[in-house]
Amino acid sequence: MDQFIATYGFLMINMLLQAVLALSLYLPLMAGQLSLAAPGFFAIGGYVAAVLSTQKFLAVPGTSYGEPLNAFTLWLAGIFPFTPPGAAYPIGLVLVEMGIGGLLCGILAVVIGLPALRLRGIYLALATIAFVEILRVLALNLPITGGAIGIFGIPQPFPQDATKFSYAIITVPFLALAAWFVYRLERSRVGRAFIALREDELAATAMGIDPTYHKVLAFVMGAVLAGMCGALSAHVLNTWNARQGTFDASILILAYVIIGGSRVWLGPIVGGLFLTALPEVLRQVAGIDGLPVWLSSFLSDGRLIIYGLLIAFGVLFFPQGVVTPERLERKAKSPSPRAAEEAVT
Amino acid sequence: MSRRLLSFAVLAALLLTVSISAAQDAEPVRIGIAVAQTSNVALFGQEQVIGAQIASDYYNEQGGINGRPIELVFQDTAGDEAGAINAFQTLIADNVVGIVGPTLSQQAFAADPIAEQAGVPIIAPSNTARGIPEIGAYIARVSAPVAVVAPNAVRAALDINPDIARVAVFYAQNDAFATSETGTFQETVTALGLELLPVQQFQTTDTDFTTQITNVLPQNPDLVIVSGLAADGGNLIRQLRELGYEGLIIGGNGLNTANVFPVCQAFCDGVLVAQAYSVSYESEINTIFRDIYTEQQEKNPPQFSAQAFTAVQVFVEALIELDNTVGLDTLDLAASRTQLNETLLSLEYDTPLGPLSFTPDGEINQGTFYVARIEMNDDGQTGQFAFVASIETEPAAEVEATPEATPGS
Repeated sequence: MDQFIATYGFLMINMLLQAVLALSLYLPLMAGQLSLAAPGFFAIGGYVAAVLSTQKFLAVPGTSYGEPLNAFTLWLAGIFPFTPPGAAYPIGLVLVEMGIGGLLCGILAVVIGLPALRLRGIYLALATIAFVEILRVLALNLPITGGAIGIFGIPQPFPQDATKFSYAIITVPFLALAAWFVYRLERSRVGRAFIALREDELAATAMGIDPTYHKVLAFVMGAVLAGMCGALSAHVLNTWNARQGTFDASILILAYVIIGGSRVWLGPIVGGLFLTALPEVLRQVAGIDGLPVWLSSFLSDGRLIIYGLLIAFGVLFFPQGVVTPERLERKAKSPSPRAAEEAVT
Repeated sequence: MSRRLLSFAVLAALLLTVSISAAQDAEPVRIGIAVAQTSNVALFGQEQVIGAQIASDYYNEQGGINGRPIELVFQDTAGDEAGAINAFQTLIADNVVGIVGPTLSQQAFAADPIAEQAGVPIIAPSNTARGIPEIGAYIARVSAPVAVVAPNAVRAALDINPDIARVAVFYAQNDAFATSETGTFQETVTALGLELLPVQQFQTTDTDFTTQITNVLPQNPDLVIVSGLAADGGNLIRQLRELGYEGLIIGGNGLNTANVFPVCQAFCDGVLVAQAYSVSYESEINTIFRDIYTEQQEKNPPQFSAQAFTAVQVFVEALIELDNTVGLDTLDLAASRTQLNETLLSLEYDTPLGPLSFTPDGEINQGTFYVARIEMNDDGQTGQFAFVASIETEPAAEVEATPEATPGS
């Protein structure tokens, strides 16, 4: 079991983080906005954490990071007094970074969202792709982001010999809270307004729903989530650079949502978990003893072909995604009538 | 989801069978190769795969590790950090004694700490950023950093024309490598007491460089240094010549490729390029490597393949030494990984790159660097890198003078 966690700890954490990212793209989509800006906010969040943890907060006295914390950061660290013995960095500060990253992305999203959300459909998608590209060029050229090499040696809030799986202590509650938030949102007045806008903007406006307010709100919620996720990812990856959150990532995250299901909160989560694990599963399947050579070499060399084919077939056979509100309902009805009732209400 | 669980279960079974088969005789020594076989970095990764494969075939023919064959285990890192971490984790669980990889420095900053924690020696075949060996005790590299390779071209240019006084520097502002390389070139020029004319910037997507060239040409530069990629750099060189510049030109590492020949054609002739590997380097091992590569691929081996070959060679020679002194059979996996790391840092190697050794940190001490001159054939489309000079360096003096890991410089 230890061996299993050592090998797959990082993969599991990465699956959870990708699921959060998928949720962050799902939020604007809930209000009918095809925004691909999530990786941009993800990158900003990561840079916030990387810069703060390597240049501003520094670290705990007596660790290899040397410099004592100043009074302010000590106070911040004390908010969440759980620092595992031997860790180079207090977990509390990671949470603070996530907060700052999320806040910054939220403010930026308001500024960008107000003009950008006048665009619709593919035009908004294009504008958000441009936003991601602008951020990438900025990151390559600003001195504080470390150019192309980026920032490395981001301190770990766990002891030297701990595996990446330790991050589950932050990541699991983070995904659970995010999922719960979106789940509740779908059942709230605001969430229903989002969905109404998605299904028919004209009708929704006629009913008195303010389209600009709700679109920007959904966009900002997604940005905050992506920013927090980025801040956490920077610690998990141990390094951050301009290749995080590029156009490729935008498309990948969109695939999570499309394959998983774009109309219910569970869809993006399933999509993010499954599509992140898939290439690694194929890697392992290729290594199984006793497979014919051609099959195992196809599985290892062609695993990305299989990945692409699965996405293509997924879209063909599950145009609404694997998880749809209808399927959830049907499933909920059969075992327990009470759950079904909840799903309907 | 259940498919994932199933394959994990199958993997666990696989691990069991691997550990059972460990008792057999002449069991191969497994070396992991984690490079970018897919993604937009695959161009480099594929060359590294070829280099590593040639090395393992060659050393297995020579008898492997005192009779035990070498088995390379390939895991694709793709071009991102998560991919590199996953590939490293898979290889570590797959009982390799050491890993060659990853392709990019950025990937190394994410994945190397994993290997460091697991106590698995890493040899980076192509990480040139500052701060790579400093990641940990188990991390070494056979790729000399930019700051060490680039200045050699300037020294070679001064050998050819000692009267050089004014230097014009051009660089592609949107290319990461060019940006860091030009910093090194400018420092070298200033350190040698030459006059640095105002630095000119361009984009890798540019095709017209008249503005930049006319900015500096009236100031009569004796040497022009270009850091860019093949297409833009080649065009810049062509336009420099067309506008009447006749002095020496140095191309950065981005021009260290045959792809530049069709771009500047006859105008490429005479451009100097500093190299960490030279096809023309005469030694027994480089002749062997070059002959096998040329036979397989029908072209001259590039630097990436030579460095990957060297990385595998370092592991093989260190394993043989370890087997001779301690005996590999007497060590369990963890101990053989640790002792392999200590052994490989202490030895000296004769490689296709020339003689090399490591600092205790794991930084490469490459004895020789090369400067080549582009010589174009009469058809104006093809040419070759002709060997100009090999430059003996003081062991890693420049690297140790700047031990602080400044990102992005």
